[in-house]
Amino acid sequence: MRFEEAQRIKNLPPYLFARIEELIARKKEEGVDVISLGIGDPDVPTPGHIVAVAMREVQNPANHQYPSSAGMPAFREAVARWYARRFGVSLDPAREVVSLIGSKEGIAHISWCYLNPGDVALVPDPGYPVYGQGVILAGGEPYYMPLDPSRGFLPDLAAIPADVARRARLMFLNYPNNPTGAVADAAFFREVVAFAREYDILVCHDAAYSEICFDGYRAPSFLQMPGAKEVGIEFHSVSKTYNMTGWRIGWVAGLAEAVQALGRLKTNIDSGVFQAVQLAAAAALDGPEDATEAMCRLYARRRDLVIGTLNDLGWRLSPPRATFYIWLPVPKGYTAATFAETILERAAVVITPGTGYGARGEGYCRISLTVPNARLEEAMHRLRRVLAGRN
Amino acid sequence: MRLSERARAISPSPTLAIDARAKEMKANGVRVINFGAGEPDFDTPRHIKEAAVAALAAGMTRYTPVGGIRELKEAISAKFLNDNGLTYSAEEIVVSVGAKHSLYNAIQVLCDVGDEVLIPSPYWVSYVEQVKLAGAVPKLVRASLENGFKLLPDELRAAIGPRTRVLILNTPCNPTGAVYGREELEALAEVALAAGLVIISDEIYEKLVYEGNRHVSIASLAPEVKERTVVINGVSKAYAMTGWRIGYLGAPRDVARAITRLQSHSTSNPTSIAQAAALAALTGPQEPVREMVAAFARRRAYILERLRALPGVACPTPEGAFYVFPNFSAYWGGAYRGRPVNSGTDLAQLLLEEAQVAVVPGVAFGDDNCLRLSYATSRETIGEGLDRIAAVLGEIS
Repeated sequence: MRFEEAQRIKNLPPYLFARIEELIARKKEEGVDVISLGIGDPDVPTPGHIVAVAMREVQNPANHQYPSSAGMPAFREAVARWYARRFGVSLDPAREVVSLIGSKEGIAHISWCYLNPGDVALVPDPGYPVYGQGVILAGGEPYYMPLDPSRGFLPDLAAIPADVARRARLMFLNYPNNPTGAVADAAFFREVVAFAREYDILVCHDAAYSEICFDGYRAPSFLQMPGAKEVGIEFHSVSKTYNMTGWRIGWVAGLAEAVQALGRLKTNIDSGVFQAVQLAAAAALDGPEDATEAMCRLYARRRDLVIGTLNDLGWRLSPPRATFYIWLPVPKGYTAATFAETILERAAVVITPGTGYGARGEGYCRISLTVPNARLEEAMHRLRRVLAGRN
Repeated sequence: MRLSERARAISPSPTLAIDARAKEMKANGVRVINFGAGEPDFDTPRHIKEAAVAALAAGMTRYTPVGGIRELKEAISAKFLNDNGLTYSAEEIVVSVGAKHSLYNAIQVLCDVGDEVLIPSPYWVSYVEQVKLAGAVPKLVRASLENGFKLLPDELRAAIGPRTRVLILNTPCNPTGAVYGREELEALAEVALAAGLVIISDEIYEKLVYEGNRHVSIASLAPEVKERTVVINGVSKAYAMTGWRIGYLGAPRDVARAITRLQSHSTSNPTSIAQAAALAALTGPQEPVREMVAAFARRRAYILERLRALPGVACPTPEGAFYVFPNFSAYWGGAYRGRPVNSGTDLAQLLLEEAQVAVVPGVAFGDDNCLRLSYATSRETIGEGLDRIAAVLGEIS
């Protein structure tokens, strides 16, 4: 190798799914019909009224020129309207909202804004890998907060040592939660606000799944809590709500100085989001919610199918109230990796080993519900065949 | 909330800031002549827009592979071969959210904290900030007006120190329009290779060269140069697609892999339908590019003629891009209606406020004796703008 990778890239943890991917590739080469329940990428297309706006706007010459890095007023105002309508949160679109190339982009870069090498960031474990990796890339130190089933997968803030809390600059949270499907209530968020105030920590809440809720449950925004906007920001996107993962647009909202710090940083990393995409996202946020509601009903049926199948096979799972993930404890005698490999080997079904989300993911696998019904049904048939009488 | 040292060390992009201010004045009804634009004033060609519409109709709305769809990488591979004589496989290509993002990714994976990065000056603004963001140290190397703003091999050699790791080369250059010829690149490559440097070659203005000048990619000089080079390019300037945000790079496989990994942790794939549009741009008819270049060539001749008619203004002939970078230092020490004029910054402010002409002060590119004027605007605008500039200069005593 003639090029030496920079230390920060070497510090990124090795890709945990490499072995699974190898197995998938081999199966596919052998002509096996592999069903992937691995990635959370909605299988249903973007609603037609949003696509129609994009079709019009890609042809508008005004959108062929550089967007503003922070986002068009039309997009930021739509975000503010949506927050007001959905959560009763009032946001100043000019100061408290900035567009992102998907919420992931902001999550990855907020650490650049606030972490000096050696600074601590509180990161949930298990959790979306980008939290910890963004911290590592910025030279910071993640302190992993265990998410334990006995606490409903909410971190125990009291268990964070005071010296760690004092060194911490950021806290990442994500409810409804990927990968566990857990939800947080207002009481927990209030506790977070108090904790952040006490230790002067910026709360970075990832609310990407707030609209994927079932059984009448409606997830709160962190920004709804009294004082939250003084200590926190929220990352969100249209990806999961409107089946727009490929479009790459999200936003950060909340504490103005943090939103703007990220916005300033971003001017040197990218030049904003294609305006046709911004206008499509604005139309999504302003538009009817029936497609999202229909998606949630669809996910709920799929969830019930998977939970029903697994409980028939001996698990005792309660259905998650949000997200399109099932967090599955693996049977005795397996690790996350060996169970995922076994399911792939014997049922040709891909599920994600929980260790991909952190050390506390050991003992779990994640099942994503974002495949067409017929495929999910086929996957469940295969699980029944392979796992009957095992658990 | 205390910002990190890095966040405090970086500045917002000044070119975008000035452009935004001019747009704001315009929005308020002021008739601003804008030479600030860093983008073609042409619309994206029709067949490219239609490809985006077709992709939407086909439901291309889900995640794509992080580093870009296969078809686009293959089209880029063919482009590198046909235009630049470079052989890159799809595994050596990464598509990102604009060339700026490609540069950011390359700098992130190549620079360690404390590494030194050589940047010929005048330079494009974001290089310096991106290097600082990586914790590396930007080291500016003066490329003089006398040499047409091109770095000489001896100047490069003299600038290399024990911690120097990367050279960023930009040809055609923003802001100066300088285009390096083959021999000039060979001489620089020899010095860079002997010192073990990695070259980041920003070739985003490749298609915009004039009067028989040819763009040469430094990576094409020899296999051993290519092995040490990351080539940055994109569809923005060539196809009037700045708004679509698609850039790409060619790099040795290990580097491309590391960049893909980094991108998987930050942005994921570039916008799906913009990838479809970029594919149409690269594989479709190239006539619109030729037409655009011909239009830029006419405007370039005109703006040069007008600038050179101004007393005391020195302006080397830019061979590429769509900028001129004239030097106004003959006016420093003078005053406009009692207001002192001592730098490009003073002059740019004066022009915006007194004549409603927006230009970018050269200090944004490392030379406050100059102003950057973009001629990606109509002939009428150029004419009226130069009239207004001449009037202001005429009153400086």
